[in-house]
Amino acid sequence: MTPVIRTERLTRQYRGQRALDDVTVEFQRDTITGLLGRNGAGKSTLMKVITGQEFPSSGSVTVFGQNPLENDGVLRRMAFVKESQQYPDIKVRHAIEAASWFFPNWDADLAEQLLDEFALPRKRRIKKLSRGMHSAVGIVIGLAARAEITLFDEPYLGLDAVSRQNFYDRLLADYAEHPRTILLSTHLIDEVANLLEHVVVIDQGRIKIDAPADDLRGTAVTVVGPSRSVDSFVDGHEVWHRGGIGSLATVTIAGPIANGQRATARDLGLDLEPVSLQQLVVHAAGTEQAGAR
Amino acid sequence: MSTTTIATSRRASTLDAIVKVGRLHLIDRVSYAVLPWGILAFTFLVNVVIFSLVPAPPEGFYTGSLLSIYIFMIVLGVLSMTKAVPFAFTLGVSRRTYYLGTVGLAVATSAVWAALLTALWAIEGWTDGWGLQMHLFRVPWVFDGPWYQVLLTSFVLLVTMFLAGMWYGLANRRWGITGVLALTAALVVVVLILIVAIILTDSWSAVGRYLGDLDLVGATGIIALIAVVLGLCGFATIRRITT
Amino acid sequence: MEEDVVFDEGTPLFVQIAEQLSGQIADGTLAEGERVPSSNEFAAFLRINPATAAKGINVLVDDGLLEKRRGIGMFVVRGARQQILQRRRGQFTEQFVAPMLAEAGRLGIGREELFDLIDHTQPTTQGAQRP
Repeated sequence: MTPVIRTERLTRQYRGQRALDDVTVEFQRDTITGLLGRNGAGKSTLMKVITGQEFPSSGSVTVFGQNPLENDGVLRRMAFVKESQQYPDIKVRHAIEAASWFFPNWDADLAEQLLDEFALPRKRRIKKLSRGMHSAVGIVIGLAARAEITLFDEPYLGLDAVSRQNFYDRLLADYAEHPRTILLSTHLIDEVANLLEHVVVIDQGRIKIDAPADDLRGTAVTVVGPSRSVDSFVDGHEVWHRGGIGSLATVTIAGPIANGQRATARDLGLDLEPVSLQQLVVHAAGTEQAGAR
Repeated sequence: MSTTTIATSRRASTLDAIVKVGRLHLIDRVSYAVLPWGILAFTFLVNVVIFSLVPAPPEGFYTGSLLSIYIFMIVLGVLSMTKAVPFAFTLGVSRRTYYLGTVGLAVATSAVWAALLTALWAIEGWTDGWGLQMHLFRVPWVFDGPWYQVLLTSFVLLVTMFLAGMWYGLANRRWGITGVLALTAALVVVVLILIVAIILTDSWSAVGRYLGDLDLVGATGIIALIAVVLGLCGFATIRRITT
Repeated sequence: MEEDVVFDEGTPLFVQIAEQLSGQIADGTLAEGERVPSSNEFAAFLRINPATAAKGINVLVDDGLLEKRRGIGMFVVRGARQQILQRRRGQFTEQFVAPMLAEAGRLGIGREELFDLIDHTQPTTQGAQRP
């Protein structure tokens, strides 16, 4: 597996705040990696540094083995779709046309299809579009560019659930036909959980999780049942969350749970519920995990 | 591929990108062609109407309408560094390429406009001020000599205006309005210091003589120098710009 | 594959895909010698990452249940169904019999009553709940 993006002790400080704090992470070629975390966690900053739009305060970042800053050769192989992208006062079709000049892998047919799918009025000025349509323009550009590295930073502001699903479907379909490196940052974690091959979680500028998505499933479990039975079962496990109503208890503990233990739970009349990726991320964001890799 | 081929192809693709940046700005054809010349045409007609209704004074009619074209260049310069910048970054353009592309466009536009202005200046001369003794393009001292001087001076002035606008736009983007005010204040201070230095070293008369002896070519040269300085300042400013 | 597929979040996705595929081979939905959809087709249909789909398919390839015919696609191997049924027989006791006995014990259902229930109950076609 060749890492196509690498950061090494990357720090970005601004007015005393550390948007990125000693970030060392690698992104693998031809993989869909989710960049997850709360608002203001540092996802956008990381993506901006990777695309040479922000300057590191210390540490390094390399893309295709080179520093992306002011590097035309590298920049041309990346497409970065942001939420609230600013455009000059031009029409939708002008923006699409301009994008076609700059991206070497541009697929004009795909662009046309996507414009139709998102029902974008080609002759309308971008600043006159609704928020959802505005976002759709960025998505069309990001997908049709077929850039070797495509970064999406919460690109669906204002898009309804159906359009979002449309975006995910399109992304998957095109990715299957034309594999490339994709970084997708989002706070709508459960919507994209099945798309991701790798997960990176950032909180307060630090990396909290950096693991394959498959490894994460089953790292925690929620035990539901009569309080006394639950308590005896979870004894000795790391407890993440306690809840319950009356004599019913709901306790989330760190897993994984061995098959023998599953049998025990069954005998005690307990239910073992899986923990969603969203819950895992929320938990990771909340804990002080130093150097979790 | 040998290293020279790689180097030339890289230079070729950078040149390609620079041209594309120019095309990017020119999507807004209205601002780059229709508006400035439309305004000029309009003021021209207004002047013609007024001057045809009024008897001509002995020295003819003088109007400063030409100024609009030059002011417009400043505006274009400012606009080139506002909304298009984040979009260009998304398209994978480096700051350096974006700046060079825009400067290239400034030079090309100025060349075309200067040629047009010179042509109109010539026609004004041949038609004796459009038959009304109107001096719109034939501005005394500045646009008064042979046609190549008019062409050169127009060109240099237009480029300088654009570059000044670019720097203003960039300063605003990087430091905000307070930054721009600070920059203006700093420039004023620099000029003041220069003036004070001149007075203190009692070189005022020398400077005055130099400026008085300055012919158009010399003046154009100084403006060209200012243009270069503006270009460099703009480049330094864009280096640390973030969107 | 008509019904909507729901994934649980406890087990790795590729494992669930492998299990679903073997389930379909076991109950005959996917006949031996029949072509299996490609990983890209799977991914698009299930709305998951193609690499994950490929991983799930490869589990069955490694187990000798699917074979790749170059240029054509993935096919169910002859005897795959038998192989799967064999393995499931082995897991039957642990997955179904033991839980049933445990629950019966909890509810106070004695042996006699249990045999009686077995004699008189119709099997359901619902999929088993994964413990």
